[in-house]
Amino acid sequence: MENITNSNRCTHNNEILEVELSDTDIIDAMQHISGYIDITTEDFRELYHLAYHHAIERLLTKIQPKNLMRVVNEPLLADMPLDQAAAILIRSDFKSLPVLDANGCVVGILTDTDFLRWHKANTFLEILLNMADNAFDFNHVYHETSVSAIMTAPAITVSETASFGEIVHAFYLHDRRSMPIIDTDNHLLGLLMRKDFICAWKLITG
Amino acid sequence: MKVPEYFQKMRGSTHTHLPRVNNSEIIWSWIGGFCGIAVVAWLDHLFFAGTDLSLMIASFGASAVLVYGAVRSPLAQPRNLVGGHFVSAIVGVICWKLFHPYPALAQAIAVASAIATMHFTRTLHPPGGATALNAVIGSAALHKLGFWYVIMPATLGPLILLVVAVLVNNIPATRKYPEIWF
Repeated sequence: MENITNSNRCTHNNEILEVELSDTDIIDAMQHISGYIDITTEDFRELYHLAYHHAIERLLTKIQPKNLMRVVNEPLLADMPLDQAAAILIRSDFKSLPVLDANGCVVGILTDTDFLRWHKANTFLEILLNMADNAFDFNHVYHETSVSAIMTAPAITVSETASFGEIVHAFYLHDRRSMPIIDTDNHLLGLLMRKDFICAWKLITG
Repeated sequence: MKVPEYFQKMRGSTHTHLPRVNNSEIIWSWIGGFCGIAVVAWLDHLFFAGTDLSLMIASFGASAVLVYGAVRSPLAQPRNLVGGHFVSAIVGVICWKLFHPYPALAQAIAVASAIATMHFTRTLHPPGGATALNAVIGSAALHKLGFWYVIMPATLGPLILLVVAVLVNNIPATRKYPEIWF
């Protein structure tokens, strides 16, 4: 008779599912190990449960945004002209940069997709061809338009201690490659790259 | 804790039998137990036959169960095997010296204190309880040994069992001993 049936136990706000082990699972595993195992199934289950939670805590602590974020040396300002913003974006090596207001609070994010949308173009090649025909207009418009006119706002942000589930949810809402990390006053702390987040999770879980 | 909960605990929490070890494990447990006890008994006969001294005590039989029959057990590791007998023998001899006018009390205190001391020193080894008890209920010749009982047989015997365990338990590919030395 099994005293515990297979069921799923939810932990950490439904983030990670722990499969509960039955006596049959444990005894089957014991039979794969040569020698007398000096432990009961109930003790093993309790140990497994505690060790599992310990491991999840360790993993989730490691992949908190504060440990993964990249420093943004030169964030954009909402009233900055687009030509200046584009130059900063190119220098930064990021595909997107957070946009701050005069108080240093994150009010949006400027991504290369925002440029495409603004130009009503599907690709940068399309913009390039238009620019070849209307070089003067492009320079003028880029200088006269502010970042706030084309940025994505409000920006989807996460706190530096956001949980695994919060980060995944934020990336789900915000279909971009990066996301600003903010403190409790909405001030910018850094930028969390989606690839860094995925890479960290992959490294930890193998 | 409520009374029903107290009695509920007596029903046990695991209702599935743990698996029997395979035949190879049974054979190697037998070989280990035979070799370990045989070496101790042979050395005892060789050096101490006809004297009041003895290298063998009954608790070594229980130790053999652990170090040859449950080699993975934390209770069977070298620190526990040697340390458990060593501290228990000290406790047993002290209890005999302090409480021998009251044999029942001396026996109970010896075993209980041996358990506590082994826990405290992380050397829990169930046969240690027998070693402590033996120091109290043993023969007059054993009592005459005093603290020599701690060295011989209570430390020397387990050391011999340990050497045999390291040599024999590592022969089969499926066995490894020890898991941890100290």
